[in-house]
Amino acid sequence: MSLRITTAQAYDTSISNLQTRQQDLADAQNRLTSGKRVASASDDPVAAARAERALATMMKTEADQRALEASRNVMQQAESALGDAGDLVQQARELIVNAGNGSYSDSDRATLANKLKGLRDQLLGIANRTDGAGTYLFGGQGTKAPPFVDTPAGVTYQGTSGQSEVPAGETLPTSVDGSRTWLQATDPTTGQSNLSVFNVLDRVIGELNTPNQAGDVIEQQVKSGLADLDASADNLLSARASAGEVLNRTDSIEQRNADAKLAAQTERSNAEDLDMVQAVSDFQNKQSGYDAALKTYSMVQRESLFQYLSA
Amino acid sequence: MGASPLMSLGMKAMSAAYMAMQTTSHNIANANVAGYSRQDVVLETAKGQFTGAGFFGKGVDVTSVTRAHDQFLTRAATIATSQSAMDAAHSDRLGQLEQVFQTGESGLGYSMGQFLNSFVDLASRPGDSATRQTVLAQAQDLATRFNSAAGQLDTIQAGVTEDLKSTVTTVNGLTQSIATLNQQIAAVRGLGQPPNDLLDQRDQLVSKLSGYVQVSTLEADDGTLGVFVAGGQSLVLGSNASQLVVGLDVDDPSRSSLMLDENGKQRTIDPSALGGGSIAGLLNFQNGDLVDGRNLIGQMATAVAGVVNQQQMLGVNLQQPLGSVASQPLFSVGTPQAIPASTNAKDAGGNYLSSVTLTVTDPTAVQAASYELRADPAGSGQYQLTRLSSPPVTQLVNSGDVVDGVRIDVPNGLQPGDRFLLKPVAQAAGGLTALLQDPRDLAAASPLIATTSASNTGTAAVDSLTMLSQPLQAGATAQVSFTSDSGDYSWQLTDASGNVLSSGTGTWQAGQPIPANASDINGFALQLSGVPRNGDVVTIAPTPPEALSTNNGNALALATLRDVTFIGRTMDASGNVSGGATATDAYASAMADIGVRVQSAKSSASISAAVSDQATQATSAVSGVNLDEEAARLIQQQQSYQAAAKVLQVAQSLFETLLQTTTG
Repeated sequence: MSLRITTAQAYDTSISNLQTRQQDLADAQNRLTSGKRVASASDDPVAAARAERALATMMKTEADQRALEASRNVMQQAESALGDAGDLVQQARELIVNAGNGSYSDSDRATLANKLKGLRDQLLGIANRTDGAGTYLFGGQGTKAPPFVDTPAGVTYQGTSGQSEVPAGETLPTSVDGSRTWLQATDPTTGQSNLSVFNVLDRVIGELNTPNQAGDVIEQQVKSGLADLDASADNLLSARASAGEVLNRTDSIEQRNADAKLAAQTERSNAEDLDMVQAVSDFQNKQSGYDAALKTYSMVQRESLFQYLSA
Repeated sequence: MGASPLMSLGMKAMSAAYMAMQTTSHNIANANVAGYSRQDVVLETAKGQFTGAGFFGKGVDVTSVTRAHDQFLTRAATIATSQSAMDAAHSDRLGQLEQVFQTGESGLGYSMGQFLNSFVDLASRPGDSATRQTVLAQAQDLATRFNSAAGQLDTIQAGVTEDLKSTVTTVNGLTQSIATLNQQIAAVRGLGQPPNDLLDQRDQLVSKLSGYVQVSTLEADDGTLGVFVAGGQSLVLGSNASQLVVGLDVDDPSRSSLMLDENGKQRTIDPSALGGGSIAGLLNFQNGDLVDGRNLIGQMATAVAGVVNQQQMLGVNLQQPLGSVASQPLFSVGTPQAIPASTNAKDAGGNYLSSVTLTVTDPTAVQAASYELRADPAGSGQYQLTRLSSPPVTQLVNSGDVVDGVRIDVPNGLQPGDRFLLKPVAQAAGGLTALLQDPRDLAAASPLIATTSASNTGTAAVDSLTMLSQPLQAGATAQVSFTSDSGDYSWQLTDASGNVLSSGTGTWQAGQPIPANASDINGFALQLSGVPRNGDVVTIAPTPPEALSTNNGNALALATLRDVTFIGRTMDASGNVSGGATATDAYASAMADIGVRVQSAKSSASISAAVSDQATQATSAVSGVNLDEEAARLIQQQQSYQAAAKVLQVAQSLFETLLQTTTG
């Protein structure tokens, strides 16, 4: 026995089917216009969680990138400051070599000493440079005031030795250890790491200002001064090299961060974005389904026995 | 043999055809009335009259009008309706709950991530007040987002309560109508014929009712229908209807529960006994998913606020005088709740005799769960604590014990029969507040700073210095001196005037902190990179005030929280914690959890809707009206009417013939 079709039920069913198809069509259109396959977690919980983690990775690499920029900014300035310092030390070296000239009078040497004093003050200025935002490049693990202070006993370091660091994918420095850079060159005579570039210059300046020195004494002083200055220059150069090394590392970390971010973006997109080709075909499928439903509805529901019972 | 039997036969046939047409027309008229059952006239051949020549038929009798109705199918359809309505209500509400767990940039996970990432910026520029302001703004945003999530949950709860109330009002109206119909049906029962239209109406009301609450029915001898809910509690009995009421839940006044009013006394109906109907769907959602959603969000709020506060308070802020103003917590969260059941013992003044207080001791071990606490039924004097998870986990605890990061204190003990609902995190998100306004309050600096000696010969450098507690000796300086090339070291802690406070030895291994146990020296854990050599020295001294504004030690520690698994760690019986998830993972899995629920609720709803449709279709195949069929019947009945009229015409002409014969 076949089921009886009830007229009212047949209408209800047709209407509800039409509504379902219309809803499907609207959903397909919604997906197409938003471009998202996963608009809320229930669309695909696993993919939504994947997308969430990928988004977190993206945010993290962005934060890392900001930290990296901060480090790069400081290290570029430190590198260029150390470059400037190298030039000044080179000029100072030439002045000291000149001072060894046996035909120079006391006043000639005093003039040289004055020039050296100027170079020394410039060096101190470089050692106290900031990144432009108030952070001292050579502040070590932190200082509020200029880290290098001129005292009667010579230039002292007020910062905390060591260096500040930021997490930028890997740890990168945001300051340079000023004490180690400027005050801790290896003394060529004692072998200890306590040679201050300022002290070396101060000593040479003091001696050049001392009148009536014998030629061999001056020669000796110039020689030892040059040796000490070269040791300091080496130290500055190696600090510059390590700043350059950090910048190199920064570049490769930046590349890695960018790769990680791209991978995360791709992951997020794979997880929640729509496959357009499939979506368009899906939409057309739904559209023809709806169309067919409408057509058949209008055809079938017209049919009734009463039509044939006229008159 | 006269013409009169023929006449009466024709009359009867005409009247039968007429009644049939009347019924068919009634069917056509009611074709679109919900719950109408197709009616049929029952015809019976009249008993024949005996003559010597045999039995002669006396035509047709109309004995009754019946409705096409199948008790079994109707019952199956009402049960399917209940199931479908329950699943639909559940699915709808879950859809609302899912809005709280947004994906991507509008989600809580994103906010937590942004907030924790802002500490990286703080580490880059610890002295910059604009950066500090940004961190505070992120903290404020995080709190606001958690608040609004909690607010959404409150709105959903209010919606559930409102819906329950209006549904119950409708249900009470329906049961009242059923009781009235019962009365009418019983009154006409004596007439001996079924009151089809009244029966249809009653069936339709029961069907409507079962959309709200699943019922079972039992027809009594007097024709009245008994309607029962929740496995046998009567809603309608004869012409009496009981009232359903929505009241406060006995265990948790923030939730609603369904009660049956019995002569002014209200008895709670256990939601699990309801079986189906939209009320059951709402209650299941309210007592299950909504509670879970609230706990998940509360757990995240408690954990993130807790760990950030802990770390913030270990650092040093920039308030004057520098280094001597204690750092304040960044957040406060809603307090844990211990709610007495309304049935707990009270004193004469109506105050509860017993009380329970909860304290979060380890925010990282807090679980997304509620608990029930009652006296141990075995009488051990301990308390039985049940974690209301699926499956529930029960354990015995004493007052003062710490379970899942929460300490439970029962100062006065429990009265017999008392029970408490413990909700450690339910209010946490709603009460999350960012407390700090002044950028200088952020504790970016570390109280201690580690430096390697200039004369060190090894490659060891300070990798990180982490504070695990406040410095044990404020203002003290620790010096770690390596005494061999294989990592042996001796240390001493001296105060500001150089007096040795404590000293000891240890052995460093690559990747391991100095000291092995942070409380051994001064509350810090020092990680070295590179290798120290004999004679190398590392000094861990208080951070000098002039370095505080640019020191980022504590900001670094705060920034590492983005990779720390600080949510939902497992706490074993001896208080050790392990496992857990990062903020991102915790949110992603909470979101996926809710997503899976929505997905399965949607599919349950669509399956049960299909089942319900099918059952309705099966019922209507028996009871419903097909207009084509009625049209055909109408022609058939019209023809019988015409034929019967012909019989009458013949009888009349016979009679006339007879008259003419006698008069002629």
